[in-house]
Amino acid sequence: MTFLLAAIIVAITLAVTFWASKRNTSAGDFYVAGGRISATQNGIAIAGDYMSAASFLGITGLIALNGYDGFMYSVGWFIAYLTVLFIVAEPLRNLGKYTLADMLVYRLKDPRVRTYAAVSTIVISTFYMIAQVVGAGSLISLLSKGAISADLAIPLVGVLMIIYVVVGGMLATTWVQIIKAMLLMFATIVMTILILSRFGFSFSTLLGQVEAKNGAEFLGAGVKYKNPIDLISLCLALVLGTAGLPHILVRFFTVPTAQDARKSVVWAMVLIGAFYVMTAFMGNAANALLGKDAIVAANAAGNMAAPLLAENLFGGAGTLGGEFGLAFVTAVAFATILAVVAGLTISASTSFTHDIYNGVLKGGQASEKDQFRVARLATVAVGIAAILLGLAAKTQNVAFLVALAFALAASANLPVILFTLFWRRFNATGAMWGIVGGILFTLLLIAISPNIMKIDPDTLTTGRHLIQANAIFPLENPGIISIPAGFLFAYLGTLIGARRHTPEDDRIFEDMQFRAYTGAGVDGTVAAHD
Amino acid sequence: MTVSSAPPAPRNAAYQQLVAQRNAFTLTMTLTFLVLYFLLPVLAGYNKPLMAQKVFGNVTFGYVLAFAEFVMGWVMAYIYVVKARTFDRLAQEARA
Repeated sequence: MTFLLAAIIVAITLAVTFWASKRNTSAGDFYVAGGRISATQNGIAIAGDYMSAASFLGITGLIALNGYDGFMYSVGWFIAYLTVLFIVAEPLRNLGKYTLADMLVYRLKDPRVRTYAAVSTIVISTFYMIAQVVGAGSLISLLSKGAISADLAIPLVGVLMIIYVVVGGMLATTWVQIIKAMLLMFATIVMTILILSRFGFSFSTLLGQVEAKNGAEFLGAGVKYKNPIDLISLCLALVLGTAGLPHILVRFFTVPTAQDARKSVVWAMVLIGAFYVMTAFMGNAANALLGKDAIVAANAAGNMAAPLLAENLFGGAGTLGGEFGLAFVTAVAFATILAVVAGLTISASTSFTHDIYNGVLKGGQASEKDQFRVARLATVAVGIAAILLGLAAKTQNVAFLVALAFALAASANLPVILFTLFWRRFNATGAMWGIVGGILFTLLLIAISPNIMKIDPDTLTTGRHLIQANAIFPLENPGIISIPAGFLFAYLGTLIGARRHTPEDDRIFEDMQFRAYTGAGVDGTVAAHD
Repeated sequence: MTVSSAPPAPRNAAYQQLVAQRNAFTLTMTLTFLVLYFLLPVLAGYNKPLMAQKVFGNVTFGYVLAFAEFVMGWVMAYIYVVKARTFDRLAQEARA
């Protein structure tokens, strides 16, 4: 039944993809669906892009195994959208066309900035993508009870996502995300109602049973995070990283105006918030109804908590209802991974084609047809790279790759975005220093952190750490150090690059601010450039 | 990439007002939500007894605070949407 439902979902999304392919006639269509997505559609698609398998399967499992500490992820991931809403969404829509680099170059006028921003986008998307692909592999092999191994599942997901993106471009990707977001919300709402009906519609009763099973400390903080600085560092990366994530940023170029960008963030906040609130019910119910041991037995990281919970809620193992619940949630998880990976792929291939191929190599002179062709080739290349990297990383812990992507986005992209928008003296050297320094320093801190360096017991066979030694840098997430460092690099670069600050620089800055604040000259930008 | 080299539009009073109001608003809201949000990890790190304190039945202060953060997120987004109407109006006047 699992395969049947998953096949139906894949068939529907493929049909949408071929429908969308008929509407893809220009590079602008491929990159950002011609900027014609409505605010509501885009909001749902942002939610679809964001609620990855890490959220649905990961957080439910984290709460089921660690109690309250797991729920703090949910809060951070949601609150991050205030940063996006207040600071990033509207100016970005007003200044950019297809990519983050467009916005930076609009002000800084230096083609080298375009290259660096594109590389940053590709690096961050790739780390995020590897995590999703590896997660997909282990999830599918677990759910098929080993019938489909990770070696087969990873290429399978990779090939499907290449088809979505190559054939359908941004329009199809957006619709795949919308379908997936609605399926996920539906599944979560139904499960939450069933959970509440089991506990007399009282969260207190649910928590009471969790406490009876696990002891009082499970309801409080500190089961997973013993070191407060570690927790604060993680929260900092979560709350500031989203505003720099390339696959989220690219979504603001798919709507016509800044007002639509704002409305889409608000829509996304309604959906994402409701979803993350429900994770508190799902995680605790998984703990109370299934017990920690059964969850760990299925998957040590807790990734199976949500599917097993669905099986239990719909009637239990062996019953028709239970089978259906398990199959449905599994199929939704599969759709989730496909949608998120497709979103990441399109942001990486757009950056390559628009910024590096057309912007830098062809001096902005590449024909529509050439860009379209290269965009599709780039998608295939990105897809193959993700499959190969995913296979290589399949035994690694995937959580660190996601945390790495958030920390990279917060340390390398956010300082440059903020300085571009608000700092008169900021210049191209500052942007390059900020991006390169932010990425390299964050990678360095991760490389010497317990994510990579840790002494594993000899009995451990999967998820062994790359370097078997004590970590030099103690924190799992480098945010608390790397984010201020990112700002510092951008600041120092600006000082070093400061030639004489000319009146022309001031004029450019004021021009940019005028456009960022008022949206002057934006209406019809995408159409005009197509 | 082609960038319009037209002379900057004349800056009127509406634009000055827009920049001042918008900057003040963004700064205030951002600082407010960051401070309120970081109450959660700071208290979770440094005041575990408070977080485990039961408030309603078995619902702990930690859960109440976390749910309150969601409400705060939605309320602040709503305030922004309302305030943005003023910004949109000023922006339109500024462009005129």
